[in-house]
Amino acid sequence: MSDKGGKGFTPGVKSSLKDASAKGGKDDGSAKSKKTRNVQFASQAKGGKTDGAAGKKEQEPLQLKVEAELPKGAICLMDCEAADVLQGIQDQMVILSKDPTIKLPVSFDRGLQYTKKNIHYTDPDSVRQVLENLKTYGVTDGEICVIANVYPETADEVFALLPSLKARRIMLDDPVSDVLSELAKLKKKE
Amino acid sequence: MFLKTELQGNVVIPAESLDAKGLMLQKAIFVRLLDDFAKRKATKDLGYLLALKTVEKIGEGKVRQHTGDVLFPVTFSAISFKLFRGEILEGVVHKVLKQGVMLRCGPIENVYLSSSKMPDFNYVPGENPVFYNNVSKIEKGVTLRVIVIGAKWLEAEREFQALVGLHADYLGPVP
Repeated sequence: MSDKGGKGFTPGVKSSLKDASAKGGKDDGSAKSKKTRNVQFASQAKGGKTDGAAGKKEQEPLQLKVEAELPKGAICLMDCEAADVLQGIQDQMVILSKDPTIKLPVSFDRGLQYTKKNIHYTDPDSVRQVLENLKTYGVTDGEICVIANVYPETADEVFALLPSLKARRIMLDDPVSDVLSELAKLKKKE
Repeated sequence: MFLKTELQGNVVIPAESLDAKGLMLQKAIFVRLLDDFAKRKATKDLGYLLALKTVEKIGEGKVRQHTGDVLFPVTFSAISFKLFRGEILEGVVHKVLKQGVMLRCGPIENVYLSSSKMPDFNYVPGENPVFYNNVSKIEKGVTLRVIVIGAKWLEAEREFQALVGLHADYLGPVP
């Protein structure tokens, strides 16, 4: 997008330069015309750049790029997977807490409560298996985790919340719809 | 988002904790690792450290000269929580201000939602201030689905501050 903006912008500036030089040549000294040209160029540049930047901000929604920010050796976990792991650790802690030297981090309880609020599925392993099918279409691990955590009801919801997938909607529409219908079978009955 | 990371670290065991029985040594290493976790609270790369999942491998110990302590290289996996730009989260409102609301998302206390990122919501002052639009209300205790705009690591406090928004479809109060 930015490349297109740049290419579109530059010829416009050059043509305005040519116009200014043509006008300048007819009028007074060449120095004065050069100054006019420079000012025009700067204002054109400023105007062009501002428009470009504003256009960029309006057009580009927030893109999820988990893989770019992920630390080395880390993998993403869905909330339901994390809930299982943290609950397992807490069950063990009931036994271990008799030993006063063993203590859990402060964030552990808050993390566990957060996952318990978002338990939408009966079986995290099955959810993972269903969503793994999207990887063959280039959907990343981070995007898969967000889809699972969001608990979407329609394909429109998935593409609205994950603009990174919107560009490939034509290819992903059917697979996403299939995955959502499979996930609906795995949803916890409330 | 929750992360599972394999990490390598060194655990120093004082000489008095060492025992002829192998199990007690493993327990001492585990306890030290947990202690370190609890103290560190969070890191810039991993986010909030929640739990130690498994100790995968304990390497050969090296005796440190002068102190008599033994240093063990340890490989372990840990669960942490970190916010990513563009991620969709649910947070609970714990403070309502004129300029916006403060949310709690999991272990992160300071998640800020500015009023400028709450299109169509208007501030209504009072004893229990709220934000209203024609359909719903945002007040203390309400759960909101938000998008993460950015997160900042505060080295001194060892915690994150995050900025979120409601400025897209399918975001807002969750019933």
